Amino acid sequence: MTYRSQLVASLAAAGLIATSSAAFAEAKVALMGGITGPIAGMAPAMIASMKLALDQANAAGLAIGKITYQEFDCGCNPQVATDAATKAVNVFGADAAVGPACSGALLAAVNSVTIPAGVLVVSPSATSPKITDLDDKDLVFRTVPSDDFQGRALARTLLERGVKKVAVAYINNDYGKGLAEAFKAEFEAKGGTITQFRGHEDKKASYRSDLAELAKGGADTLVLFDYGNASGMTILRQAIENGFFKQFVGADGMRDENLIKTLGEANLKHFFVSAPVGEAGAAFEKFAEAARKAGLDPNATFAATSYDAAALVALALEAAKGDKAKLPQALRAVATAPGERIYPGEWEKAKQLLAEGKEIDYKGASGDHEFDAKGDVPGSYAFFKVEGGTYKEVQKMK
Amino acid sequence: MDTLGLLNYAIFMGVLIGIYALLSLGLNVQWGYAGLFNAGVAGFFAVGAYLSALFTAPPVPDRIMGWELPTGVGWFAAMAAAALIAWPIGKVTLRFRSDYLAIATIGVAEIIRLVLRTEDLLSGGVRGITGIPRPFGDLPYEWSQLAYLGLTWGMVVVIYWALERQLAAPWGRMMRAIRENELAAAAMGKNVEARRLEAFILGAAIMGLAGAVYVHFMRAITPEAIDPMMVTFLVWIMLILGGSGNNRGAILGAVIIWVIWSSSELLTDRLPAEIATQAKYIRVFVIGLMLQLVLRWRPEGLLPEGTHVRRSS
Repeated sequence: MTYRSQLVASLAAAGLIATSSAAFAEAKVALMGGITGPIAGMAPAMIASMKLALDQANAAGLAIGKITYQEFDCGCNPQVATDAATKAVNVFGADAAVGPACSGALLAAVNSVTIPAGVLVVSPSATSPKITDLDDKDLVFRTVPSDDFQGRALARTLLERGVKKVAVAYINNDYGKGLAEAFKAEFEAKGGTITQFRGHEDKKASYRSDLAELAKGGADTLVLFDYGNASGMTILRQAIENGFFKQFVGADGMRDENLIKTLGEANLKHFFVSAPVGEAGAAFEKFAEAARKAGLDPNATFAATSYDAAALVALALEAAKGDKAKLPQALRAVATAPGERIYPGEWEKAKQLLAEGKEIDYKGASGDHEFDAKGDVPGSYAFFKVEGGTYKEVQKMK
Repeated sequence: MDTLGLLNYAIFMGVLIGIYALLSLGLNVQWGYAGLFNAGVAGFFAVGAYLSALFTAPPVPDRIMGWELPTGVGWFAAMAAAALIAWPIGKVTLRFRSDYLAIATIGVAEIIRLVLRTEDLLSGGVRGITGIPRPFGDLPYEWSQLAYLGLTWGMVVVIYWALERQLAAPWGRMMRAIRENELAAAAMGKNVEARRLEAFILGAAIMGLAGAVYVHFMRAITPEAIDPMMVTFLVWIMLILGGSGNNRGAILGAVIIWVIWSSSELLTDRLPAEIATQAKYIRVFVIGLMLQLVLRWRPEGLLPEGTHVRRSS
């Protein structure tokens, strides 16, 4: 009887809260992964990391109650993604979404569905610079830096290291092209020379003709924006075999352990990559520990950004205390300074501080996530060389 | 899952079904009337989508056009451009028959896709075009969706009506005669080549319109949108399931396939969380299975062509 009366009382209280403001009857988060389609290989780890964050939040017992989540497939395709977003917003009733995973899918889904419907979106993996300039009513964020940042940082680092003349090859998709263009703009503006600037299609058997073209300008260094498990490896191998360039520089896509195994460390003495690093190494370690415990690989591509995106959404839901319209503002408040630092997994502490009305500042596994006015994160990068079968940091990139 | 939400979802589905119905009607002109196996639907869809986008989107540096013209102009231009592109393609490829034509049109669609992917000046390259206006886009979300639904289905009804008229006219009878027996039609003095080209161009123009309707609904276009799986093959399945040669069948096919494609995700979400991710693939499987079953048990489609005995009016 007491149990029942308690239940009635709490239901009544919940009803009061629900009617008093535009409250979450139940906080709902849509997880929009690229489950089918071109990045299907990365999707399981990404989705699992998002779930890990939300499960931790639920286990800590947030004041807003249990966060329910559901997976949607954005298929890395605009038609599939808008369909998924419509279902997420209208049928599932999502207050916020983590994803969509790919840039093209995100552009269509946010333009036609989530922005008009006023739903917050945090993507862990859409890197196109186009997303920066969206007229998004402050509803689109991402925990992965735009390709623009990395390309520019890499250009500055190379110049600083005395490399003034390079040839640039990029895979012709939004990833490769975004990096290459940002790199080019910064490198040339700061006085470097780009002798050749060429895009290539992936999955070709031979890139010797591309390499011959690239080598024409007489540059010693090839900057290669590609994937180390795909055409990037082929190009690198053929360039080394045929002695086309002396030095090779790649971006995060080229940082692949398999590449070292396949090509051999001895051949990669003049191969360098830039890759994002967590500013606070401790934050990543906390995530990595929780991930390993849950049977996940913390180093899987976009696993850390996925975790952070979901964690930030959960913290924002908690901070907004039931007002969907305040979510973007709340997200900024919990993600950026000032405030008490919160590392991955510190849900109890975050919950308590928010309940006391204090500011928090989430330091994520993949970076600090100090969002700028456009909802982008600057990201922090380091320059790596190959040593001892893995990638070793040479210097931080500015 | 409130009623309003479901209604919004239904409206969204309605718009996409309308767009696919247009594609399916366009393909029906080519395959259903004229027997032309066009496997390059995505190419004409892309031409329409990109051209309308270029006419209406705001200008950006490093890309041509961006004229900010009214949407209606963009739609008209999309149809005209798709027709214009179809003319030389038809001229060259329509000399092929059946499967050879299919291969040639797949090739053409791939060429169009690769050009759009790589020519930044023309199409914004892999990053595509954003900032495309939507008619009634300034209304609140629900009303904007509803207005666009009306617009889309207005187009479907107009195209359907026009095609039905065309099919009942001597032109339609002639097309069927050519399709059924080309030699006999030629022997009766019909210009087979010219008629086939007409059907090809008319179908392509309707596909171009579908692309334009699509692009203003999404407000953005990237090359991923012209994935042959989501455009060409899905449309083929719709037409075959609905019944090629029958315009109502073409529309019905679009309705059935899209409803299954979209709402099956709602069903798989009911599965336990452990298999929910894998279950997303089921819908791809279901669509393929349906095509197999229809081809095996009902090759003429749900609404077969029927005999075209028309009252003279």
